[in-house]
Amino acid sequence: MIRRIGRLCAGALLWALVTPVNAGATAVGDMAPDFTLPAAAGGNVRLSEHRGEVVLLTFWSSHCSVCVAQMAALGNLQNTYRSAGLVTLAVSVDDDMKSATQFAKSHPARFPLLLDPLKAVGRAYSIELIPTTVLIDRRGRVRFLLADYRGTDNSYVAQVRALLDDPL
Amino acid sequence: MSSARTLGLLLAPITLALSLACNIAAGAEPAAGATDAPTAAPAAPEPASDAGSAPAATPSAANGAPGTSTRALDEQIQDLKKSVVDLNKDLFVLEEELLFPANTQVALFVSMDVGEFFGLDAVTVKIDNREVSNYLYTPREVSALVKGGVQRLYVGNLKAGSHELVALFTGKGPNDRDYKRGASIKFEKGVGAKYLELKISDRVRSQQPEFEIKDWE
Repeated sequence: MIRRIGRLCAGALLWALVTPVNAGATAVGDMAPDFTLPAAAGGNVRLSEHRGEVVLLTFWSSHCSVCVAQMAALGNLQNTYRSAGLVTLAVSVDDDMKSATQFAKSHPARFPLLLDPLKAVGRAYSIELIPTTVLIDRRGRVRFLLADYRGTDNSYVAQVRALLDDPL
Repeated sequence: MSSARTLGLLLAPITLALSLACNIAAGAEPAAGATDAPTAAPAAPEPASDAGSAPAATPSAANGAPGTSTRALDEQIQDLKKSVVDLNKDLFVLEEELLFPANTQVALFVSMDVGEFFGLDAVTVKIDNREVSNYLYTPREVSALVKGGVQRLYVGNLKAGSHELVALFTGKGPNDRDYKRGASIKFEKGVGAKYLELKISDRVRSQQPEFEIKDWE
């Protein structure tokens, strides 16, 4: 047992030496921070329960005009690739949960609209722009970050397809 | 140190060894396929008797019996995986013992009996007026609890003496109405570990859920 601990300490030292200091921001290649959030439609959603599926995580706000168009596009994408294992989750970064809930009611989506009153998830993913889209692979690793959204930009569709093709 | 971090630290050198072994295996197979004619493969000149050291055996086996060398390598990988699992188990126990010694340990468990009158959504736990846990339940977790699962909601440290625990349950009550109920218990923490169970059950007579905190001596 003591030898094992010794070996572990040596491994830990080696790991500490080769690992750069993490600034805290989630980057491509990092494990996606787990979270559990309430959905506007009721119930709670935990990210880690979707391990084995490709997760498209998008951050939205009720004040964001582009988000409506993006959500419609993501809804279509979700419909197309749901059977292949795509899960779309949309996290609100609103200050006011009332307006977020109101937005969710007036813009029903084909995927869960999650409420994050403490903005803990937004902070964990270092969200600076709305909408930001994060693609998480079947192993729970962040594979693609797209800040900003343009209707013509479909680069993440190719990424989604690539991740869906990648078996666990 | 979190268990994930600990596991990460542990896995780093072992993963390195595993990937090295996999690379060797991947490198050996095409070579064997390239040099051997399809008919020559069954006539293996060397048996897998010296399967002890795979890296040494692999180059020679590449010309002879790729199947046996791959099998030996596979066995080694399986052994390595087993050691990783064993080590992880030891580390987990060690971490628990170090972080939560028996004389200060307090553990809270959640269980549900039936759950017909209450759909659990969240549990907030306060010990001595300090929030120690706020847990949101997904439908899958609720289903597991209803099937008889017991969840360890919180494990922490408390000094000996008297303490108060308050648990606030949120969810859907009878007739699908929003439901919020609290339960509290005053308990005495002695020198041993303290186990408390937050138990949700159905009171059929009143058609209401019942919330109980059980102190396991």
